[in-house]
Amino acid sequence: MISFKNVNKWFGDLHVLNNINLEVEKGEVVVVCGPSGSGKSTLIRCINRLEPIQEGELIVDDMKVHDKKTNMTQIRAEIGFIFQSFNLYPHMTALGNVTIAPIKVRKVKKEEAEKLGQQTLERVGLGGKAGAYPAQLSGGQQQRVAIARGLCMRPKIMLFDEPTSALDPEMINEVLDVMVDLAKEGMTMIVVTHEMGFAREVAKRVVFMDEGQIIEIAPPEKFFTKPKSDRAKLFLSKILTH
Amino acid sequence: MLETFNFRVILEYMPLYLQCFTATLWLSAVSLIGALSVGIVACAMRLSQSRIVSRISGIYIESIRSTPLLAQLYFFYFGLPSLGIRLPEAVTGILALTLNSGAYYAEIIRAGIQAIPYGQIEAGIASGLNYFQRMRFIVLPQALGLTIKPMLGQAIVLVKDSSLLSLISIMELTRAGQLLTSDRFMPAEGFLTTAAFYLVVYYILKSISGWSEKRLIFREAH
Ligand SMILES: Nc1ncnc2c1ncn2[C@@H]1O[C@H](COP(=O)(O)OP(=O)(O)O)[C@@H](O)[C@H]1O
Ligand SMILES: [Mg+2]
Repeated sequence: MISFKNVNKWFGDLHVLNNINLEVEKGEVVVVCGPSGSGKSTLIRCINRLEPIQEGELIVDDMKVHDKKTNMTQIRAEIGFIFQSFNLYPHMTALGNVTIAPIKVRKVKKEEAEKLGQQTLERVGLGGKAGAYPAQLSGGQQQRVAIARGLCMRPKIMLFDEPTSALDPEMINEVLDVMVDLAKEGMTMIVVTHEMGFAREVAKRVVFMDEGQIIEIAPPEKFFTKPKSDRAKLFLSKILTH
Repeated sequence: MLETFNFRVILEYMPLYLQCFTATLWLSAVSLIGALSVGIVACAMRLSQSRIVSRISGIYIESIRSTPLLAQLYFFYFGLPSLGIRLPEAVTGILALTLNSGAYYAEIIRAGIQAIPYGQIEAGIASGLNYFQRMRFIVLPQALGLTIKPMLGQAIVLVKDSSLLSLISIMELTRAGQLLTSDRFMPAEGFLTTAAFYLVVYYILKSISGWSEKRLIFREAH
């Protein structure tokens, strides 16, 4: 479904992605973790070309993302992207937020999109908040609206960039629960997160990154209990003391 | 002091004032539409990916904002004919007001657009919305709410600035005051009447501004 082959990317002199090789299968859930600045966000932002790559091959759903000639609109419609800071449109209601892309990109009729939007909001536990503006919602609710916004496009892939790290602790679980449901329904997901419980429950593999490189890929149980690399050991000792 | 204030002469000159008031209104309205159009284009150019296009717009905006309107007006009024371009006075006046306010509008619109957090634009990109859809549905509706007040503020400035057109002998409100002054030596009556008419326009625009603030700015918290 997603395939990185010898992918390299630089920000000026900074080698932010260093020879990345990674295959993610359909229906697989992969968790990416690593120290701040290690390139995790950049890695997933390349998948829908929020950032272009400079070298290597990146193939998503049989389409060549590395090829400048590839029209990204269709691929982007297939991929939901969830940001750390939600990035909802503050001038639209929850329903407006989740229906805009289906109507404008997928060309779904308004009534149909609103029906789907309402259903999707119910799915994330916010059926009663369709008419609310983002500023009237808590952080956890906003992030769930953002997830619903992604789901309304009926995506094949969902990408999450630290979806719970801007949330107050008591709101983290309501968002993780929605993500766990999604994973169990067979969604292909790459999730940048340090939530070990989530990784243990649904991830098939954990990808550990440092300084733009993938240092280690292992099943969550193995990675969290017996990491191979020293860098992973150091990283885990730091997040465990928190 | 009020006994010496001559209301009769104001009544006598009222037809002239009304005619000049109408002139001020249409000169301002035409310039305003022109300035908004110039402002939108200049702002789009300023935000363009192309360095050269952005730079050209930047030079225009900076040179307008760094020089007095009167100097710009005189440039068009005296300078253009010396270059062989002869325009009617009203056109010269509208041109100067349009280009002057256009530069300010470009900056007002730019500030409004740049106030929209980039994360929202990225969310739009990620969901497949194209550039024009992102502008139309995400950026501009919010930018309009943010800029409506400064836009109307600039409209008020434009109306007041149109008084400078009296200096290139266009018949408008300030010119009416000058005529009453020079015909009858009654500057107090002449210019107070002129001021009263400007006050009317100011008050109307200010009311629109207050109303739009309630209507157009989207709901913040609660
Ligand atoms: N747009 C950018 N321009 C320049 N440097 C960037 C940009 N985005 C990220 N970086 C740098 O790239 C590195 C990796 O960033 P990021 O992928 O956000 O890391 P992570 O998500 O793991 O914290 C960091 O050093 C960051 O400062
Ligand atoms: Mg990050």
